[in-house]
Amino acid sequence: MELVAYESRSSVNDTQLITRVVAGDAAAERELYETYVDRIYRLAFRLAGEDELARDFTQATFIRAFEKIGSFRGDSSLSTWLHSIGVSVALNGLRKTKRQRSREAPMEEGLTVGSTRREAEPDLKERMARAIDSLADKYRAVFVMHDVEGYTHEEISGTLNIPVGTSKSHLFQARSKLRVALADFAPEWVS
Amino acid sequence: MTEDKFEEFLKRAAQSYNAPPARTPREDMWSAIQAERAAGPRVVYGGGSPVRESSVRRFTPKIWLGAAAAAVLLLATGVGVGRWSASPSTSRSVAAVNPPTSGSAPASSGATPTIVAPDARGNVAVAPPVDRGTGATSPGTSPASGPNQRSGLRNGGGPQSVATNGTGPRASNTDLPNNSNSASAYQLTAVRHLSEAEALLTSFRTRSDTDQQMDAQLGKWARELLSNTRLLLDSPIANDPQRRPLLEDLELVLVQIVQLSPGSTPQDREMIEKTLQHDHVMTRLRTAIPAGSQRGS
Repeated sequence: MELVAYESRSSVNDTQLITRVVAGDAAAERELYETYVDRIYRLAFRLAGEDELARDFTQATFIRAFEKIGSFRGDSSLSTWLHSIGVSVALNGLRKTKRQRSREAPMEEGLTVGSTRREAEPDLKERMARAIDSLADKYRAVFVMHDVEGYTHEEISGTLNIPVGTSKSHLFQARSKLRVALADFAPEWVS
Repeated sequence: MTEDKFEEFLKRAAQSYNAPPARTPREDMWSAIQAERAAGPRVVYGGGSPVRESSVRRFTPKIWLGAAAAAVLLLATGVGVGRWSASPSTSRSVAAVNPPTSGSAPASSGATPTIVAPDARGNVAVAPPVDRGTGATSPGTSPASGPNQRSGLRNGGGPQSVATNGTGPRASNTDLPNNSNSASAYQLTAVRHLSEAEALLTSFRTRSDTDQQMDAQLGKWARELLSNTRLLLDSPIANDPQRRPLLEDLELVLVQIVQLSPGSTPQDREMIEKTLQHDHVMTRLRTAIPAGSQRGS
């Protein structure tokens, strides 16, 4: 996966880049941004389901990263650290947005953050989207990262700051729930 | 379908979930990031109204400073109020607490600690209760008396409180031998007074509309309570922000009861009842009387 490739960046390069960013090198900031923005944005979009929210989350991730990079200790890779910020920003932002929207439009039942209505899509995709949206945040994040974006459990573990076993457990739980939710399409899965 | 096939199916089908656009809006987001950083980073994400983190950070020390200042001010105010209320230099200080046998209190025939009118120098006397075992309080007999009065002050015949000069400088320790005794006397007096007031008001609410004699007795009782209420309003007891409004409301109700003439109409009584209900006087009275304290009824 792409992330693996970026993880293989030498720690020396990361360290140099971080040092330059901390020193206020604007070019280094841009370089860091260009290196990671695609994956951060993709993940943010997967979690948010809306371009506007995904942009907000991505921007907030880099803004926070530039602010905090001086305290980056190198316990994990720069990529994992950035993704960790990104997922945290996205999940917190989604919770806040969900609360706001539930206050603003309490009558609009079924409106869920992270889902966009795709009325023209086949029923399976619609049901799949709704089922994934209904997962708890911790399950949804792991499922999206692993089964949709292809992150490994080790990467998820570093990003979400959970043990690898917990990541696997969350994925199992997510799949189980989706299996039930999608049972209409293949009842034999449920058994 | 096997587990592996289901996972494959799931992964394949899930690819359409929140599928991002092929092209990342890099430049747009970079410009936004630069603009945000120039104005100060945000701390609110996800489509909400942005809040500048810099302003939050600037405000944080102010919050702590403000909280510290407020705490100091509150502490100072508390100490100040405490000292002022205990200070003998205030005109509302205790002058003397004597057993009711001193005869200085017209309403001190019972065991209730009794306040008497200030003397020429502005002193207010609080007489401790003496248990005389006078039996149940009756509006017609002695409104100020209560049955089975319990008090730590009641048994000693000697002075248990303080004597201070309301116009003089702050009393020395010899002038004010025991401030806690003084405060306790006031507290006890207030509780007893409120208990009696509650008894009076309960009697008022449960009396018969046609019982003119009862009205007269209640009026007499209320008059005596009214004078004590006014004295309490001039005492340190009234410094309590909750007790003062209660005493003021009680004063109003008592005045209304006092003014009830034998020929008063049911509307007059109804007005008093409305005052009681509107100001929640009974509820506040009961709240102000500590549980387990002796009621004056």
